Amino acid sequence: MRPENYQAVQLGESNEYEIFIGPNHPGIEGNYALKLVLDGDIVVKGTTDAGYLHRGFEKLMEGRLWIQNLAIVPRICVPDPAPMEVSYSLAVEEIMGIEAPIRAQWIRVMQLELSRVAAHLFTFGGHAATTGMYTPMYWGVADRDLVLDLFEDFTGGRVYSIYNIPGGVRRELPNGFLEKLSNLLDYLESRQNDYDNLLFTNQIFVQRAKGVGILSKEDALDYGVTGPNLRACGLAFDVRRDDPYLVYDQLDFDIPTQQAGDAWARILVRRDELFQSIRILRQVIEKLPTIKGPIRTPIPNPLSWNVRAGEAYARVESSKGELAYYVVSDGGDKPYRVHVRGPSSMHAVQTLEYLAKGARLEDVAQIMFSLDACPPEVDR
Amino acid sequence: MKKELLIKEKQAKRTNPLAHVFDDFIDFCQSKSLFMLHYCTGCGAIELPPAMTSRFDMERLGIQPMVTPRQADILLVTGYVSVKTLKRVILTYEQMQAPKYVIGICSCTVNGGMYWQSYATAKKLNDYMPVDVYIAGCMPRPEAVLEGLQRLKENIKNDRKQQKGSAWKEYFANYDTYLGNQQHLFGDDWQTPVDIIAEAKLYGLEGEGTYGKNTEKLAKVQQPLLPQEMKL
Repeated sequence: MRPENYQAVQLGESNEYEIFIGPNHPGIEGNYALKLVLDGDIVVKGTTDAGYLHRGFEKLMEGRLWIQNLAIVPRICVPDPAPMEVSYSLAVEEIMGIEAPIRAQWIRVMQLELSRVAAHLFTFGGHAATTGMYTPMYWGVADRDLVLDLFEDFTGGRVYSIYNIPGGVRRELPNGFLEKLSNLLDYLESRQNDYDNLLFTNQIFVQRAKGVGILSKEDALDYGVTGPNLRACGLAFDVRRDDPYLVYDQLDFDIPTQQAGDAWARILVRRDELFQSIRILRQVIEKLPTIKGPIRTPIPNPLSWNVRAGEAYARVESSKGELAYYVVSDGGDKPYRVHVRGPSSMHAVQTLEYLAKGARLEDVAQIMFSLDACPPEVDR
Repeated sequence: MKKELLIKEKQAKRTNPLAHVFDDFIDFCQSKSLFMLHYCTGCGAIELPPAMTSRFDMERLGIQPMVTPRQADILLVTGYVSVKTLKRVILTYEQMQAPKYVIGICSCTVNGGMYWQSYATAKKLNDYMPVDVYIAGCMPRPEAVLEGLQRLKENIKNDRKQQKGSAWKEYFANYDTYLGNQQHLFGDDWQTPVDIIAEAKLYGLEGEGTYGKNTEKLAKVQQPLLPQEMKL
C-alpha cells in the first residue's frame, strides 16, 4: 500500500488544495493529524484523522484482573492521569457497595487538584508556543516540574502515580508533606503577576488569540463540549459542583466563566481555574491534619477478587472536561465491559472540525491547543 | 565476525595512518552536535519537554530539537507504536540523511511493554528499523533520557574502534529482513517513496541481506514517485 498524501493535492480545476498536518508536526498536539482543504490560506474543510494512538484499551481491560487495570487506566490521558484512576476506583467502589474512608477522600481531592494544576501549567505553554511565544512554555514546564516533584514525594511516580485503588489510597502522606505543598502554593501565587504580564495580558498573545475559534453556547452544547471549553462560552457547569463526588460539597470554590467563547476566553478560564485549585488545596491543607483514621477500606485478595455483578457510572471533572467510566461486572474476576467517556473525543474531533472551517491556516494549531484535547484519550 | 570484517575492510582502504586521526576527529565532531527529531508516538513524549527545557536542559549536551526529518540526526521514538503510526515512523526514518540514529524510549518499543496483548500495536521496534539505544522504563525519567543520549554520543565518538554507532548501515545491509517484517504488517504491496536499494547501490552499502525474496516482491509493485504537475 502506498501511503497517500506525500504532496499537496490540487482538487480538480478549482484553486483548492488538500494538505495534511501531522501526525509529526510541531503545531499538532501529540500524535494526531488533520486533513485540510485550503483556498488560499482559508480552511474550507477540515477532517480529523485519529487512530495513531489506538491501543484497544477497552478490550485490553476486559482481559485483565480488576486490580491490574489500575496500572493501565492512567495511560489513557498522559498529561492529566489522576482523574482516570479516581474515576475507575469510584466506579468499582460503587459496584462493590463500599466507600473510601473520609481521609482517603480528602487525599484524593488533593491529588486531583494537584493534577489539574500540573495539566493547566502544561497547557499554557503549549498554547502560547503556537502563537510563536516560547518563553511561557519554558516557565510552564519548569513550574509543572515542581508539582511533579510533590507527586513523586507522596505517590512514588512522577507522571503516572497509580496511587488509588478501589477502597482508598495506597499510602499515607509522608512527614512534612503539607508544608511542602503550602510552600509550592505560595510560590505559584507569587508567579501570578509574572504570568499575567508575560502571557495573559500580553498584546502579542491577545491580538492572536482574540476572536479565534469562536464557539457559541448552543453549538457547544450540541457538540457535547464540557469542562473549561464550555465555561468559556458562558455556561457555568462543573461536575464538582453540580454532581459532587468525594468531598467537593464541603469545599468552597468558584466556577470561573467567560462569555466570548474564543481561544483567549478559554485560556483565561484555565488561568482562573488554576487559582481556584490553589484555593481548594489551601482548604485541604487546613482540613487534612484534623481528620484521623484509616486510608483504605479493606478489599479481598486482589488476585482472586470477584466483584459482584452490577454496573456503575462514575464521573469526575478532569482538567479537560467531564470524564466518566462506565463499568459492568458479571461477577467475575475481570470486568465484563469498561467504557470510557473522555472529554477529548468531543473536543478534538467534531468541535475541532467545526471550528477549523473558515479559520486561517496559521490559527488551526492554536484552535487545537486552545481546546486542550488529549489525543491518546481520543484514540484510546 | 562481521564487525571484524568491516574493520579490516576499512583498514584496507585507508593505508595512511593519519587518515584515522581524521576519522576520529569527524566522529568526535558528529557526537558533539546532534539534531533530534522526536516523533511523539506515545506517552513517553510527556517527559521530553522537561528534558528539553530549563530544568534538565538537553542543549548543554549539544542536542537540539529539529522540526524536519531531513535535517535531523536522531529519531526519538517515544513510546508504543501502533501499526498506523509505524508506517509514518518508517517513512520518517527513510527520509533522514545518513548518518542517522534511532533511540527507542519506553518499554513499549523494547517488547510491547504494557500493551503486549494489544491487537493494534507493533511490539518490537527493532524488527522494523535498526535501533541504536533503548531507554527502558514506563516512562523513563528525564535523567534516564539524558543518560541514553550520552550513551549514544559515546557510541558515535568511538564508532571507528567499536563499530557501535553505525546501526543505520544495518538497514541497508539487511534490507530484505526489515522489508519482510514491514510487508508482514502492511501487506505485500507496501512501498515507500525512498528507494533504499538504489541508495545502497549508490553509496556502496550493500550487504549479503540487501536482496532476497521480499525485495523481489517489492520490485513487482514499485512505482517511481513522480512530481505532481502544479496548475495555477
